[in-house]
Amino acid sequence: MKLDPAILARLQFAFTVSFHIIFPTISIGLATFLAIVEGLWLKTKDAVYLQIYRFWLGIFAMSFGVGVVTGIVLSFEFGLGFAPFAQIAGPAIGPMIALEVLTSFFLEAGFLGIMLFGLHRVGPKLHFFATCMVALGTLLSASWILSANSWMQTPDGVSIQNGHVAVTNWLNVIVNPSWLYRLPHMLAAAYLTGSFFVAGVGAWYLLHGKHEDFGRRTVALGTAFATILVAGQVFLGDILYGTMVKYQPSKMQAAEGFWEDHSQSPAPYYWIIAPDQAHQRNRFAIGIPYLGSIWLTHSLRGQVNGLKNTPPDRQPRMVMVFYGFRIMYGMAILMFGLVITSLWLRWQGRLFTTRWFLQALVIMTPSGVIATLGGWYVAETGRQPWVIWGILRTADAVSPVPAGALLSTLIAFVCIYALFITAFLVFTFRMIRRGPELAPAHTEASGSLKNSLRLQVMNNAASSHPALEEQLP
Amino acid sequence: MNLPLLSAAFAAFAIALYVMLDGFDLGVGALLLIQSDEHLRDHMVDSITPTWDGNETWLIMAGVTLLAAFPIAYSILLPAFYLPLTVMLLSLGLRGVAFEFRYQVDSHRRIWDVAFSFGSIMAALMQGLMVGGLIQGVTITANRFSGSVFDIFRPFPLVTAAAVLIGYIVLGSGWLQLKATGALRLFAERMLHRATPLFAGLAAVCCIASVFVQPGIAAAWSAHSVPLTLVIILFFATFQAVMAVNGHSDILPFALALGLFGLGISGLVLVVYPNIVPFRLTLWDAASSTLSHVFLLIGAAVVTPVVLAYSAFAYRVFRGETPEKGWEV
Repeated sequence: MKLDPAILARLQFAFTVSFHIIFPTISIGLATFLAIVEGLWLKTKDAVYLQIYRFWLGIFAMSFGVGVVTGIVLSFEFGLGFAPFAQIAGPAIGPMIALEVLTSFFLEAGFLGIMLFGLHRVGPKLHFFATCMVALGTLLSASWILSANSWMQTPDGVSIQNGHVAVTNWLNVIVNPSWLYRLPHMLAAAYLTGSFFVAGVGAWYLLHGKHEDFGRRTVALGTAFATILVAGQVFLGDILYGTMVKYQPSKMQAAEGFWEDHSQSPAPYYWIIAPDQAHQRNRFAIGIPYLGSIWLTHSLRGQVNGLKNTPPDRQPRMVMVFYGFRIMYGMAILMFGLVITSLWLRWQGRLFTTRWFLQALVIMTPSGVIATLGGWYVAETGRQPWVIWGILRTADAVSPVPAGALLSTLIAFVCIYALFITAFLVFTFRMIRRGPELAPAHTEASGSLKNSLRLQVMNNAASSHPALEEQLP
Repeated sequence: MNLPLLSAAFAAFAIALYVMLDGFDLGVGALLLIQSDEHLRDHMVDSITPTWDGNETWLIMAGVTLLAAFPIAYSILLPAFYLPLTVMLLSLGLRGVAFEFRYQVDSHRRIWDVAFSFGSIMAALMQGLMVGGLIQGVTITANRFSGSVFDIFRPFPLVTAAAVLIGYIVLGSGWLQLKATGALRLFAERMLHRATPLFAGLAAVCCIASVFVQPGIAAAWSAHSVPLTLVIILFFATFQAVMAVNGHSDILPFALALGLFGLGISGLVLVVYPNIVPFRLTLWDAASSTLSHVFLLIGAAVVTPVVLAYSAFAYRVFRGETPEKGWEV
């Protein structure tokens, strides 16, 4: 079998970036959740909020840590696997990625250390400020990355001079046409991920009859946030869909699973298809009649555009885009069902006692992560065959590295990352099993780059804030 | 204003800081392998706990600066150094996990110490390979890398790899002398005593061999003969000084070892400048458009002082000797 370097380079990037995105998604969501919870604690002085804060701080620190370590790899991977891309796009995306790196260092240098280790050292108000700054910082980081990625989807603000991109207008590069729609969609996804994570762990405690106060409060908070976010995400997703139909029609054609220029009328909404790209047809397709017309054209008999509208050499692989979209959308429907149920149960006063609902919440703990990955697969595979839409093809962007080297490093990445995920899961499960009452005031897994405040935390723990001590269990 | 020069200076500054800050903890990591006493190993890890992973900040800073400011150099050097760079990143990752596990487990701590040590040694060797690869030169056709990724595994880079590893061990031993007392301090003195002459020998071999593997060295030599001679004399004089102060001072062995690396980097900069891909491509030929530099430099100017101040604070908090029972007590 002959290995294709282009496929291997893409596989390696896909693997490392898919692995990476899980952790920032969790940290963005949890950072904001922590800021809200600490705000509630300051306002109400209810010790359960402090307990929730301390418990989730440990898991936040670990996911932040894994995000940093896997992010380091990505900042080099543009050149390792895709040197021609780096050469052409570097002037535009390079500074944005540099700004992202600088933003996160800026945070780690100050506020993260205070957040992780400084509750006793600086006092609750300043600590709350630090938490808010970290939450804001994760948002800024996401914003830079989404700018860089959106620029690859809808490039703007540059001119091409003898094969290189030269920036002519930074504002247009950063605020490129799709960024404004993709950023809120991603942020809402991250907050949803955090909400379901928090609610799932709380539900697990309630099912096992442990830490009931903590469990009730987090289930209540998690489902409440999820309800608001799901409602918002429906609109954000719909607006983004419309935007991408305009800028990248081929992506949305592939996402719906139709081949012919115009689908049959009424169009079904496909859930399972077996696309045959070579013959530009589906081997078979299963869907719900009428629903495609209703959802996609907002009429009863409207026709949906198929992938043949795009010439074959400019088409993405339908199978990837279609199933990425179905995973994201399927998760969204499940989330929608669950939050509607939560509203009903809340109204009935049975939110914390309905076992099947709590079990469903536990199962849905990773739903945000799965939906986010599905969405990113739509975005990235749907952009193909371009790496920079309309400017550079992925096939022309691959580094001159032999397939054997790429394959060996891919295997090595899989092995080391398996260690990462094992460490993350082992320590997370350990924290969850131990329960919130024993969660320490500072994080124990260093998780982040900054341990430096630990020593003083210890020294100042007893002396500086006696009032605070009384509240601690 | 000469923006590419400023960006290059920032990248060089980041690399220099990285080598000096991460070098000693990679060295301490490497030394873990030959320390059989678990208690002393705990103590060695404690000495680098507060700072070790923050130091990697500067490595990423250098990488993204290269991408943003010199995309052509980035896209030539990264594929050329594909194997050592990837292995280095994986090794640094392995170190990170091993470090966390080591703290969390009660039994089998030795396994994680070996993993930590292995990660440190591989990372050091790979960095040395890249230094050798830079001096040896990379094959370019029309601003693209056109050599083989295996070009780097030639005798010269292998010698520089060994030199960098031993150099980091010198740094690490110096650090342990600064931070440790008792048996560990004696261990550090012994290691410094053995590693320093070895480092001097390997460095001398590298200097001499470089003239033969890279004709550009001779040209650089004639262009900057006075400063280069000065650097080399100082470099080897510092070796003598390290040997002389070993065991007689807390801070001098470490400070002098840092000096060695500072001099080494200055020598390298003298040889390479004004190129960024050594002997092939100048800073200005590899630079991106003006606006990209402006954007990057503004960000760097805002953030760098904060990060530096914070790092200085972290080092100040943990100055002096590492407590016998670690920082937590």
